[in-house]
This record gives sequence, structure tokens and C-alpha cells, in this order.
Amino acid sequence: MSTDHASTHVVTPWTALTPPPRVDPYVDLSEFEADGDLMVLNLGPQHPSTHGVFRIKLVLDGEVIVKAVGYPGYLHRGVEKLCEKLTFANITPILDKNDYLAPMTSEQCFNMALEKIAGVEVPRRGRWIRTLLAELQRIASHLIAIGTFAMDIGGAIGGGTNLFMWTFRERELILNAFEELTGSRFHYNTSCFGGQRHDLPAGWDLGVIKALDQIERRMVEYADFGTANPIFVNRCRGIGVLGRDLALELGLSGPLGRASGIDHDLRRDAPYHCYDELQINVPVLTAGDCEARYDIRVQEVRESIRLSRQLLAGVPEGPICSEKPNIGPTSVRVKGAPAYVAIEGPRGELGTFLIPTDKGTQPYRMKIRPPSLHAVAVVEHLLPGNNLSDAVAILGSLDPIMGEVDR
Amino acid sequence: MSPELEAEIAALLADPPADPPADPPADPLQVIAEGMIVPAAHHHALATLLKAHGYGLYVTVAASHWPQEKASRKEPNPPPERFEVATVLRNPTAPGAPAFWWSVHLAPAEAIDSIVDLFAGADWQEREQWDLVGVVFANHPNLKRLMLPEDWQGHPLRKDYAIDTPHAPWR
Repeated sequence: MSTDHASTHVVTPWTALTPPPRVDPYVDLSEFEADGDLMVLNLGPQHPSTHGVFRIKLVLDGEVIVKAVGYPGYLHRGVEKLCEKLTFANITPILDKNDYLAPMTSEQCFNMALEKIAGVEVPRRGRWIRTLLAELQRIASHLIAIGTFAMDIGGAIGGGTNLFMWTFRERELILNAFEELTGSRFHYNTSCFGGQRHDLPAGWDLGVIKALDQIERRMVEYADFGTANPIFVNRCRGIGVLGRDLALELGLSGPLGRASGIDHDLRRDAPYHCYDELQINVPVLTAGDCEARYDIRVQEVRESIRLSRQLLAGVPEGPICSEKPNIGPTSVRVKGAPAYVAIEGPRGELGTFLIPTDKGTQPYRMKIRPPSLHAVAVVEHLLPGNNLSDAVAILGSLDPIMGEVDR
Repeated sequence: MSPELEAEIAALLADPPADPPADPPADPLQVIAEGMIVPAAHHHALATLLKAHGYGLYVTVAASHWPQEKASRKEPNPPPERFEVATVLRNPTAPGAPAFWWSVHLAPAEAIDSIVDLFAGADWQEREQWDLVGVVFANHPNLKRLMLPEDWQGHPLRKDYAIDTPHAPWR
């Protein structure tokens, strides 16, 4: 950590931040490298703040970054090629491994693409359960984002790993609820073509309400850990300011975009599932710095808790799936024109572009639109001009999941 | 999508391209609709037009490979080998936040114009499509492999790339 940073950093009013001028990620530094002014430093691939395996080549002038080059791909597993070899019924469990902190939304997005192409409608209870699970998953995912960011910026939040452990404790409550529902803690495979595979067990909602109460109580403290903490504010305010135009061009639509002033949320603007029956308040901040990216997640957790309570109170009766249960790998047949389907995942717009084969049992080509790939592409534009010590804070505030970046 | 924008897109596509492709798509869609086939020469102009009309959120690009199939009784003259590049843009401020995607058909050696100059996010996305599918994006500032090692042979998402293709071991 830089020692002189906290003393020289001027704390600016939070909403009056102007983004720095756009940088050229391909700036030619050959004339500098010749006389040894610059130093090249590899951040990652095995660095805790990369949240996985991601390498950034940093060119430093003293403490200041002048160029950043990102190298993803260390976790590339060829998911899109693998999906072309599998049948539709086999793909959902594979997609659970993409965004391993929010598998529920990954599998919902794929099945919604199938349903759109086939023209199948999910029964209202099935959609309602999907909405509820997506909101609970958003809480769980944001809790990890908050905790890991606290760990990344180290001592700024009371000892670093404290908040990390505490948010894992709260997330555990939601994982327990998911385990009771689906039988697995991470890779649920609960969304299927036409609806849901598992119905809510009796009394399940009571446990979830209790968990939500506990998380909401603790979120007050976690919010204070950030925005009411002068050390945290000194570390994050005005750091890594991302302008609205650049965020749009880079395709940042989720919490990152909303922290930069893009008033856009697919849940509200293009409702899917049962979101058209809910009143959704979308928090939008204009600062675009690391603190805004932290705060927006805290606010979204609170909003998701409110929505989850509303959803739990009014679960409709009826079937949860409009199709017969899968009896074999080729039982799902989907024929039709290619389609692009997007949902609002915890990290932004999660999309599936799907071309089915003529036989209708497999994808001919499936492109997953991962929000995290767009998030890590920011580093080449955002890091130059910042101190090296801020690179970790900026990268942590982006909350990338390498499983879906590399696929 | 507003009627004015649809009219402008129709006017854009009505212009004969400066460099007409040798093999125009067999059945270009005449209506302005999702998934419409756009000549490669109009790709960049269409993206510019859409960006000027609020479609400023870069969503994604998806390339796919379509090798020539064997002639059959049903299809005596199968279409030649081609690539299809679908580009998705979204208008986040309009009501309903509509997404619009169009498709460009390319001959095997043909390149498609990069839109990195319009959307900085297209940089990595187009690199990934070149890496995995092998579609060349003209005027891209840094068309290098993104996911695979730099010395990888071939493009794995092509249909003629066998899944067990031998390759040099990762160092």
C-alpha cells in the first residue's frame, strides 16, 4: 500500500466527480522502454484481488500506471464448444459453473432463450419462483462482492478479512435455503425448459424470512463499514472514476453502469419473469468511483430483500412447469429462428444468443454474453493514470467472476 | 424502435454498397426486424446510425461458422461456406430498453468492419470472436487472441475443428 496516498489524497464532494479524460489503451511506449524509465509489473494471474485467474500487465512510471493490458483466458474451458456437443437438457448444469456466485441466473437465462425460441410460456407460479430465486441469488452474490472488496482494500475496513467472513456468514443463510429447495448448495440445476424442477417445500418461506431479517439487520452495519468510515472513504472516493459514456460503450449495464449514472435495469425496463407485477426501485449513483460501486451493491441488496419479502408473501398456486419432466437427454426439442435473450444478473446484463440446430435437440451456436467480461475489459481504460495501490481497489470494485469471463 | 429510425435504416440499406459482395445473401430480409441480414458494406454505417439514435449500450457480437453441406435431394445446391456475425446493441434510455441485433454474412476470406471506433467494448468481444471462430475484423487496432494462447493453431468454434484436434501442450 502506498504510504503517502492517504495524506495527499483530497476528498472531493461525492457527486461532483468528473471522469478523467479517455486514455488510449494502445499507447505506444517504445521510446520510453529504451532508456529504462518504465517498469513492467505483472498483476496476477494468481493474485487474490483478481478474484480468480486474471493477469494484468502494468507499465509503471514510478507509482503511476501508464498502461494496462489485460490477459484473460486462464480459465477458458470451451463451454460454448461443449454446449454444441450436448443436448439442451444437458446444458443447464454446465452453465451453473459459469458464474459460480450466481448460477441461478445463468441457468434461467439459457432456459428463457429456449422458451423464447420454442414459444413456450412458463406458468405463473414457475415464473414467480424464478423471480424469487433470482432475487435471493442477487443478495448472495452482492454479499460476496461487498466482502471481497473489503478484503481487497485491506485495512481500510477494520482488519480486512472481518467483513469478508461476515458476509460469507450471511450468504450461508441463503445457500442453506437453496440447499433445502434443490438439494445442492452451488450448482442447482433447478431451472428447466418450461419452468422449474423443484417446488417450494412446506415451511420453506419461514426460514427464508428469518434469514432476510438477519441479513437486513446486518446490512446496516456493512453499509456503515463503507460510507461512514473515513479510512474507507479516503481509500475509495474519487478512485477509478468511470464516466457514463465510457460505461455505455463498454457495455456495462449492471451495478457498474448504475454507479456511473446509467439509469437502466432490465428488471424494470424490459420485465421478464414476474417483474412486471412488482414495483422496483432502481438505485442510481452518478459518482462512478469505487465508493459508488460499493454503495450501489449495498442499496441493491436492500432492494432485493424488500422484493423477496414481497414475493414470499404472494406465491401463487398452480403448476411450476408447463412441460413434462425431462425423461431423457433428447426430450427437449426446440426449433426456430435464432434469438437473443437477456436478463439482469447480479453483475449486469447476462445474455444468451442461441441458434438451434435443424433437428432441434442441440445448439448450433451458443454465445453467452457475460457481464464480467465487459467489466474486466474496463481495466485497460480505467487503470492508466492511477496509483499502483489503487489498481487493486479498482479491480475489486468491478467484482468480476473469472468463470464467466473465460467460459 | 421508432418509425423514423426504421425509415432511416431502410434508406441506408437501399443505397447500393460501394463494393458489392460477389455473393450476395440469397434472401435478404426486406423488413427492418431483429435478425435482419445486412450487407457487410453497411455494417459499420448501421452501427453508427443506431448509436446516434440512442442504441449506445454495446451488448455483444456472436460469430458462427456454416460450412457447405453435402448436396441432398432436399437441397440440391447447398449454399457455400459462410460466416454469420450477429451484433447486438441496446437502447437503455428508450421505454422498454429495446435490444436490436442484425446479422452479416461473410464469405470465408471476407472481413467485416470493426466497430471499435464506435464502441470501446467491441475491442475484446471482436478479439474473442476472431480467436474462437476466426472471423477477421478489419481496422481492429489489436486483433490478437484473447482466450487461447498466442501460439494456438486453428479456431475451435469452427465446425471443421474436430474436438480432439491435437495441439501443442500448454507450457
